[in-house]
Amino acid sequence: MADMVKLFVNGVEVEVEAGKNLIDAIGAVGIEIPHLCYHPALGADGNCRMCLVGIEDGRPPLVPACKTPAMAGMKVLLDAEHIRKIQRDVMELELINHPTDCPVCDQAGECRLQDYYMSYDRRQSRMTVPQVVKGKKMAFGCGVVHDQERCVLCGRCVRFCRQITKTGELGIINRSDDARVNIFPGRPLHNRYALNVVDLCPVGAMTSADFRFQQRVWFLKKSPGVCHGCARGCSITVDHNREKEQEARIYRLRPRHNPLVNGYFICDSGRMSYKAEEEGRLNEARHGRLARSVDQALLAVAEDLAQGGKITFILSPDSSLEQMVTIRALAEKLGATLSGFSDGWIIPGDGDDFLIRDDKAANRAGLELLGIDCSRTGFTAAVEAADLVVNCNNDLGRSLSAEELGQLFQSRRLISFASHRREIDNQAEIVIPVASWSEYAGSVINCQGILQHFPRAVVRNQPPMELVELIARLGSPLQSEADCWQELARLPGLPADPATIPTEGLQLNDNEAAHDQP
Amino acid sequence: MSARVKTIARRGASLQERLYLIEICKGMATSFGHFFRNLLDNSRLAVRHYPEVPPEIPVRWRGRHRLTNHPDGTMKCVACFMCQTNCPAHCITIEAGERLDGRAEKMPRRFQIDLLECIYCGYCVEACPLDAIRMDTGIYSVNGTRRDAFLLDLTALQAGQGAFPEDDYQKGGA
Repeated sequence: MADMVKLFVNGVEVEVEAGKNLIDAIGAVGIEIPHLCYHPALGADGNCRMCLVGIEDGRPPLVPACKTPAMAGMKVLLDAEHIRKIQRDVMELELINHPTDCPVCDQAGECRLQDYYMSYDRRQSRMTVPQVVKGKKMAFGCGVVHDQERCVLCGRCVRFCRQITKTGELGIINRSDDARVNIFPGRPLHNRYALNVVDLCPVGAMTSADFRFQQRVWFLKKSPGVCHGCARGCSITVDHNREKEQEARIYRLRPRHNPLVNGYFICDSGRMSYKAEEEGRLNEARHGRLARSVDQALLAVAEDLAQGGKITFILSPDSSLEQMVTIRALAEKLGATLSGFSDGWIIPGDGDDFLIRDDKAANRAGLELLGIDCSRTGFTAAVEAADLVVNCNNDLGRSLSAEELGQLFQSRRLISFASHRREIDNQAEIVIPVASWSEYAGSVINCQGILQHFPRAVVRNQPPMELVELIARLGSPLQSEADCWQELARLPGLPADPATIPTEGLQLNDNEAAHDQP
Repeated sequence: MSARVKTIARRGASLQERLYLIEICKGMATSFGHFFRNLLDNSRLAVRHYPEVPPEIPVRWRGRHRLTNHPDGTMKCVACFMCQTNCPAHCITIEAGERLDGRAEKMPRRFQIDLLECIYCGYCVEACPLDAIRMDTGIYSVNGTRRDAFLLDLTALQAGQGAFPEDDYQKGGA
């Protein structure tokens, strides 16, 4: 816990964290200081002048709150006519050349200019001269579309490219009302985090080509989630919606602030990973070559499992802890072996020192915690010894070539529970569709040993069965999620109730963080 | 506030009324009186001869919708979704796309109004920032034999014509 200091805002005493700047410190107790250029991850720049406040201790009349650290006894003045006038004047300046094309702007509904206009300005334009015409719909690369006319020149995107990605593709060129953000000629945005500038942009100057005109933001339902793109497990917000008479679908993923894991950002490939939640999904259960209902197929699976013989369950490293523990319980009951073999998820050298990891599996730490063997030798031995292999949504095609898989499963019976259509499932006797990560609630442990729980986000028109429920129907001793957590709570550091996991996650132990590969 | 109470005498208690037939005959006399009077002279009939004589539609009448165009024939709608957001019946479905006719950036790729769901409240017209949707076609009767016939698509909406002079609409329009 940081040191707390007492200061006065508009004459009212509040207790805030020491050392932070006034925007963050006072913002934490619910008093908003308007700002455009300041962003906690990018630091204070002080160029927008929207956050000017008065400090009643003999300083210059007004100071930028983003550059002023909170100190004990400070008397901050926000609610005064001369400060409101500054805010109105800054807004007027920003809006002089703003096209006010909110009807066609994707940012409308989450735009700082709109919000601040309603809160601090609300006046008619006094402009009588034509507005400065600048570039519109400029492709900046990496799926970023820039509109120079909407830009308020806060420089967040420029600072992001310089400070965070250290690639520096963006700059502000020219001066005064001709100033604009641009790329260097022939050098578009080229980094793996470029789409974060879309989130950073307080107005609609930076928009995403992928999300362009797809939805108005007020239609979107926002569910917290955890990215399953790599072992980092970034906190995200899943923006989804069901259009009238259509299938529910995800429209975009956005980073959700989590100081323990990803800060304010996510990588572009993680951001685009929502497409896999829709494309190539497996929708129909199959037994042999005949389409079956899920119930019929499940009965057949239960019969096969009851026949005895050597059974091997293959787990996916993307599965949630709940799924893993219930599969483990079923395997123990049936005397089956388990394997979490998933070497293909690891792409050596693909990770970087910021967020992206080599390991593309969301919950490998979970497999390790539950003591499930992930080795190739263990996998080969288990499969070769088995009469029946049950694949629980592991995309084996990522780890093994088609020939290797063909050889392995030629003389073995394979049952597959899969969220997506995969090559390997053609060899399976029974295939049952299951929910993918955006359609179930679960918990994953990331590469830093941080346990995060996420609720169910998307409910499809015909929701595929969740793996936990499916395994419960097959006779797992853990019949519900609560049962799973009772079992999980036996592991060191895990709580008995996922509801007690804080939103930013729970650091399980420091040892794993120390093992953190660069 | 003291309510104004008007006491009405309860009918039906006297012997003559309770005999029933006498009252029925009195009632029939009134009905047949009107019937024969109108049969002989229907000029004073207080009934509208619909559909032979169509009703007079005032400018502010909320009829079937249409999408308006700029003078050069391009669509005014920019797919801002205000009408869809404001629609209490959820009868409007819009799909937006890139604008291809040289005007601002966005236009509807699909614009569908389900007239079976529409309650003709006119909120879409009020919400539109660009006067792109109007209910001034003067079409007060929409009928069809199939459900699809009530789905107005982009072309049908654009083909609609205003039934009133522009000045009158601006003065008295919704």
